[in-house]
Amino acid sequence: MDALASLSLAFQQFATSEMLFHVVWATLLGIFVGSLPGLTATMGVALLTTLTYTLDRDAAILVLICMYVGAIYGGSRSAILLNIPGTPASAATSLDGYPLAQSGRAGYAMALATAGSAIGTMVGILLLVLLAPPLAEAALRFGSFEFFWLAVFGIIISGQLTGGISPLKGYIAGLLGLMVAMVGSEGIHAHIRFNFGIQELNGGIGLIPAMVGAFGFAEVLTVMWRRKAKVVDKPAERDRILPKLVDLWRYKFTIGRSGVIGTMVGIIPGVGEDIGAWASYAAARRTSKERDQFGKGSLEGLTAAETGNSAVVPGALIPALTLAVPGSAPAAVLIAALFIHGVRPGPMIMIEQPEFVYSVAVMLVFATIAIAVFGLFLTRFFVLVLKVPREILMPLVFTLCVIGPYALTQRTFEIWVMVGFGLVGFLLRQMNYPMAPLVLGIILGALLDKSLRRGLTLSDGDLTPFFTRPISATFVIIIALSIALGIPAVRRAISRALDSLLRRQKEGMTDG
Amino acid sequence: MTLDSAKADQWTSLVLFVLGAAMLVGGYTMDRLEIRQIHPASIPGLVPIILGAAMMLCSGLLFWSARHRAGEATEANGTPISEGSLKNLAFAAGYSVVYAIGLVGWLPFWLATAIYISVFYVHFSWQADATNRSRLLHAGLGLAFGLVGAFAIATLFEHGFLVRLP
Repeated sequence: MDALASLSLAFQQFATSEMLFHVVWATLLGIFVGSLPGLTATMGVALLTTLTYTLDRDAAILVLICMYVGAIYGGSRSAILLNIPGTPASAATSLDGYPLAQSGRAGYAMALATAGSAIGTMVGILLLVLLAPPLAEAALRFGSFEFFWLAVFGIIISGQLTGGISPLKGYIAGLLGLMVAMVGSEGIHAHIRFNFGIQELNGGIGLIPAMVGAFGFAEVLTVMWRRKAKVVDKPAERDRILPKLVDLWRYKFTIGRSGVIGTMVGIIPGVGEDIGAWASYAAARRTSKERDQFGKGSLEGLTAAETGNSAVVPGALIPALTLAVPGSAPAAVLIAALFIHGVRPGPMIMIEQPEFVYSVAVMLVFATIAIAVFGLFLTRFFVLVLKVPREILMPLVFTLCVIGPYALTQRTFEIWVMVGFGLVGFLLRQMNYPMAPLVLGIILGALLDKSLRRGLTLSDGDLTPFFTRPISATFVIIIALSIALGIPAVRRAISRALDSLLRRQKEGMTDG
Repeated sequence: MTLDSAKADQWTSLVLFVLGAAMLVGGYTMDRLEIRQIHPASIPGLVPIILGAAMMLCSGLLFWSARHRAGEATEANGTPISEGSLKNLAFAAGYSVVYAIGLVGWLPFWLATAIYISVFYVHFSWQADATNRSRLLHAGLGLAFGLVGAFAIATLFEHGFLVRLP
């Protein structure tokens, strides 16, 4: 009942003309950013954070959430029309979206993607409202020992799931992020570490300049490096732009399942929308009656991918709000923005600002309604957006990358940090090092450092409580299993053991 | 050639190993703040030591797996460098760095930005086979675009967000 009252209060608070104006422009900008290959949701949220300093708290967070939701959804446009995902989250969308566009059904593919995204986000919002309060309550039982393992768990899982075929590169990216977090004044004795005599490093490396570099400048370089893509522009694409209800009903189980999978993937620290889309797509393919159509223009495949990636957004905000551990890279920037605007995410949020979680849910609802309306009725406009030449857009984006981080502290040093992270981020990406664990490392570095040393001080140097307290022990088991499963030899041994077990069972049944 | 080849991984692993070793040594030699009588388990260098050691271990594993891959002569799955234009990349990277680190702060922000945007636009949309007249028109268009873009961004930050521009 309390939740319903808080939600209704939040609705009233945000249903003002000023807030709706913010919803409209921020969501449109988000779809624009997401549509353009190379510009990602993380970059959009990071750049927009620098433009929201002067807004009040609720308006600023609303703008950032609309950008996040809009950009994740917008990625489907270029995935369908260019066969290039606008954001990594839409990689699975292009598998079926592009064949549909080639067969002259681009309009309908985009309509279905819109419906899938909107429903996926709604499923995620429902789970956010249901899961965030109990999770925050459970997190109140966390002490230094548990927070240490939570940080380690975040890095390991993020590295494992985003590292692709090589989890090792994911772990290395996470370690690099943690190393970056070691620079500057530490949180227990205020001792300054690794500043190399540079005074500007005393306060550490700012997340916003680092993110703007790694996601903004690196993306400018990637876009200018690649060949130009061609938009599918068939006259036959002037097809239906509203999804058929019968199609949505036919795929109701796929939509529901993808929504839940996406949200759950979002809850896992630092994993993100692309994994949510792939996991939903794979689950839909396994259970579909039309699985031979997957990859050739399957409406079900497209719906699963889009529902899955959009559901990650509310999912990623669950740990971000309740544990201050981001579920995705854009959520990491959002945590930094929350701190800038005076909101302290973490287990205390349901005690200090219980209404804020419901406000975020309502912000997500507004953003979802906006993507549904704009997605269905501005289809032709967004096709035009894809035709904006990169030589016009990219210098403007880079100029914002320069001035945005500078505006935060008005120090030229932040521009250097942005440039450094941009160049290194570009190289790391080309070498297949995932960026999400790196970001998570920067965010979780201070938590890991303080929790380990505080825990050791409390136990007088004894490591036992790190392994014997129930929640810590659970984390240790999950981490050990994750690392073990990341080793190919272990995976092969497990699969061999399972095979032989199944064979023996079969033989036993035949003999019987 | 790819940036995700076994050879590239071997070289990267060496760089990462040195980085890990540097962090380990840096953490080990860091002030232990005995003068402040802190608990020995809370020394500031503890986590850097652990991270340095972990990085050395991971880089060792990366080197080993890269050698293994090279031995098996399997092809890397990274983005082939030939797929993109190295010339474009070099210009975009070099020119953007010159703007961010050189021009900004040396020239007034609006002027530095106008030069950056104009030259970027003209360079990447230049057509070698165009007539002199259309080239001139193109350069003029680039200049106008640069001035308008720079003015808009400078005004937004200076007057909208009250930032003292560099």
